[in-house]
Amino acid sequence: MNIQKALIAMIQQADRHGAGQLLEAWGDEHGYERLLIEVLEPTLLTIGEEWLSSEAFTLAQAYVAAKVAEDALLKIAERKKDGAISSPNRGAVVIGNVEEDFHSLGRRMLGIFLASDGWVVHDLGNDVPADTFVDKAVEVGARVIGVSAMMLTTAHNIKQLRAELDRRGLSGHIQLAVGGAVFLVRPGLDLEVGGDGTARTALEAMALFRRLSEASARKEATP
Amino acid sequence: MKSSERILATLEGKPVDRRAFIPVLSLYGARLTDCPLDRYYSDPAAYCAGQIAVHKEFKPDMLLGPFAFALIGAAFGSEVKLSTVQPPNVRRPAIASLAGWDALVLPDVEANHHLLYFRDAIRIMANTFGNEVPVAACLPAPIDIPALVMGMEGWLELVLFDRPGAERVLEKVNTFLIRFANCLFSEGAMVAVLPCGYASPAVLNREPVASLLRPALEQALGQLDGPSVLHHCGAPLLGHLDILTGLPSAIGYALNYDENLARIRQILGPAPVLLSGPLGTSVAEMDAAQVKEVCRTILQERDRAKDKRFILATLGADVPWHTPPENLQAMGEALAEVGWNGA
Repeated sequence: MNIQKALIAMIQQADRHGAGQLLEAWGDEHGYERLLIEVLEPTLLTIGEEWLSSEAFTLAQAYVAAKVAEDALLKIAERKKDGAISSPNRGAVVIGNVEEDFHSLGRRMLGIFLASDGWVVHDLGNDVPADTFVDKAVEVGARVIGVSAMMLTTAHNIKQLRAELDRRGLSGHIQLAVGGAVFLVRPGLDLEVGGDGTARTALEAMALFRRLSEASARKEATP
Repeated sequence: MKSSERILATLEGKPVDRRAFIPVLSLYGARLTDCPLDRYYSDPAAYCAGQIAVHKEFKPDMLLGPFAFALIGAAFGSEVKLSTVQPPNVRRPAIASLAGWDALVLPDVEANHHLLYFRDAIRIMANTFGNEVPVAACLPAPIDIPALVMGMEGWLELVLFDRPGAERVLEKVNTFLIRFANCLFSEGAMVAVLPCGYASPAVLNREPVASLLRPALEQALGQLDGPSVLHHCGAPLLGHLDILTGLPSAIGYALNYDENLARIRQILGPAPVLLSGPLGTSVAEMDAAQVKEVCRTILQERDRAKDKRFILATLGADVPWHTPPENLQAMGEALAEVGWNGA
């Protein structure tokens, strides 16, 4: 069985410890730089696709995947301190739950997956006012803000964030990724609340953030 | 027929004049009475006034006690944030780990002011509506309570990575749930509605549902002084429904209307009542004509039209604050136009 299949099987069984041992052994043998790119990232993408297309994966198993990724990132970070490896740095992103939203699980998973994809994640937590999102994004030079909402009522609060970006002339320069359970059941809600894009899962969001970051760079390059 | 007669006849599979109708309008009563939500979710009389207005406006066949699970979290010590247009939310969970659970003293159902709010609201409603309209108590299933106390992430950590710890928590939670639910029955609740979000195949895989949730539910429901309805909480449930059959005191199940009814009946058998209908959020977003059409379609669907134990409901969370009242009236109109058997 190849490493990806073995890892997925362990994640499905919630065997976090076994998955950690498997990754550590692979990293020791082949290098931790390769671990991120050749094992973790493609495994997470596979899980993301399966999560959407079959009943084989549940929210809980995606959570296990996030914890396994987080454990691996910690190990990689330990080795970084020793100067042992280098990994891609895609830049800073800001994430948080919109004002009045307190459903943090999806956002926490998103943060872990984005970090595993090479982003420097600034997680502002729950119930974040629009101006706090924008202040932080400006401070850290983020090209993308990821905002999460679980309920329809709170999703509408994202409009305030769009208005704040417009007010400061930052729309386009800072892209707005929107997500959360309600966006799955309400097609078009992402546009309605002023989002620049959405993803169906925290795993799928890795590609969304790359795409939006590129859109921001293109906007900046436009005279 | 009176609402209570209609509900009873449905439970027994006997003829009714029309299908029973149970929209989730716990929150909506505040809108109808123009009651600020900080008062609505702390003053049982204000809550009851809201439900009187709901009954006057829409004539549901069952009224719901407060559907405000964050307040149960608050009874355990979680910090709650109130909103102006939606039920309260847990802002900060009371505890972060299993050690916190071991040290936790269960809230006193006779003294905790959050729990007394639920009790008093049910008692006032039961006294107000007498034997005309049954009152239901809304309570989280045992497996859903820990997330209100330690957050969803902390609870998932235990369920997935520390099974003995999760079992210990559920045992403690069940002691509370049984005590509290029986208080609500003694105050006049006819039935307990228990949303089981964690039972959904979208959330947990089969193994923890079968080995953790099912035994906890069995233990809790077996000690309740009244019947219960298991609620899908807006998520698909059919894939795990076989694990949730044959539970003591479970007289009904609320499920998505697009889940295969024939398959549901095959799993559950003919006795339990089924509740289904449009999601509360979709009722808010459609216009009245669309709501009526959706309800007519649901009522006239072949298997459902023949099913004597079917109740039209709204599903998921509370019907949102901004829902036009005519949309809810449209549900009642669909019921009046479509006979009890979809004819």
